[in-house]
Amino acid sequence: MISTAALLTILGMASATYATRLAGYLLLRKRKLGPRARAVMEAAPGCVLISVIAPHFVSPHPEELIALGITLVAAWRLPMLFTVAIGVASLAVLRLYWQ
Amino acid sequence: MPHLHTRSEILRGAKDALPVMFAVAPYAMVLGAQASQVDLSLAEVGAMTGLNFAGCSEFAAIKLWAAVPPMLTIVLITLLINSRHIVMGAALAPFLQHLPKRKVIPALFFMADEGWAISYADTLRRSQGQQLPAFSWPYYWGACLPFYPVWVGFALIGAAIGPALGNIEAYGFAMAFPAVFIVLLRGMWKGPRLACAWLVSLLVAILVYLTVPGAWFVFAGVIAGMLFTYLREVMQ
Repeated sequence: MISTAALLTILGMASATYATRLAGYLLLRKRKLGPRARAVMEAAPGCVLISVIAPHFVSPHPEELIALGITLVAAWRLPMLFTVAIGVASLAVLRLYWQ
Repeated sequence: MPHLHTRSEILRGAKDALPVMFAVAPYAMVLGAQASQVDLSLAEVGAMTGLNFAGCSEFAAIKLWAAVPPMLTIVLITLLINSRHIVMGAALAPFLQHLPKRKVIPALFFMADEGWAISYADTLRRSQGQQLPAFSWPYYWGACLPFYPVWVGFALIGAAIGPALGNIEAYGFAMAFPAVFIVLLRGMWKGPRLACAWLVSLLVAILVYLTVPGAWFVFAGVIAGMLFTYLREVMQ
């Protein structure tokens, strides 16, 4: 069951999100970027990813910071699956023995 | 045999996306469980995850949810949190010029962080290897589409199980997302010049996260890194 208020809110969210997904493409679809704009757009994807996970770098829980450090080292060489597994396992183990 | 080629490209994308599913699935369950605690029905959880399909904004919406949800606030926060998609779509746009608009527009509905990053990193690799087109259309679908049933499905499972799920955060899954994003960043690594911009983004995002309440830190971090790159280009 969906209440009207919930449905309207969800539809509002969905429209806002889809608009953001389309906007960048529609704006730049036919543009030829100059060297400066190209440099900015080259840096931008990484800026998005690092900004999303920024709060993890200042976690108030020391065990999470240690696990993040271990994850960073693992990510240096290891493929995705191993890095995720090591990150999750190291945090789980650290939490067991912390306190 | 273009058909075989399409199939192998879809599978190649799905294979690169598969390990990330192990991070996304538990997160979707946490979202579902939180949603059930603020009395969203199963249908509402399905509608939100299926129509919006953007995790961070859904967590924010659940935090603000009430019997009569504050619609305007939730929609504006969704817009703020997901404004990063504008940059993501713009970064992909130069590589999509060989595709017709009517094909790209529905495909962008499925452009979530993880699938986008996997597909963008692959585009960079192909572009450096002189493969044409750099952007592989079937690879994009293979990398992006599987997240849809996983996100919606596991959110529904989380909502159905509800509080019985317990505190899933306690198991260490909190590290799954940063791990995924760090590996994706490594795939975009092109040397210290780019990394300087990323570092600026990180520092500004942290600063804003610690000082400004709400969801502004992603927006601020992205803008700061882009602005830094622009200013560096201007000064050279």
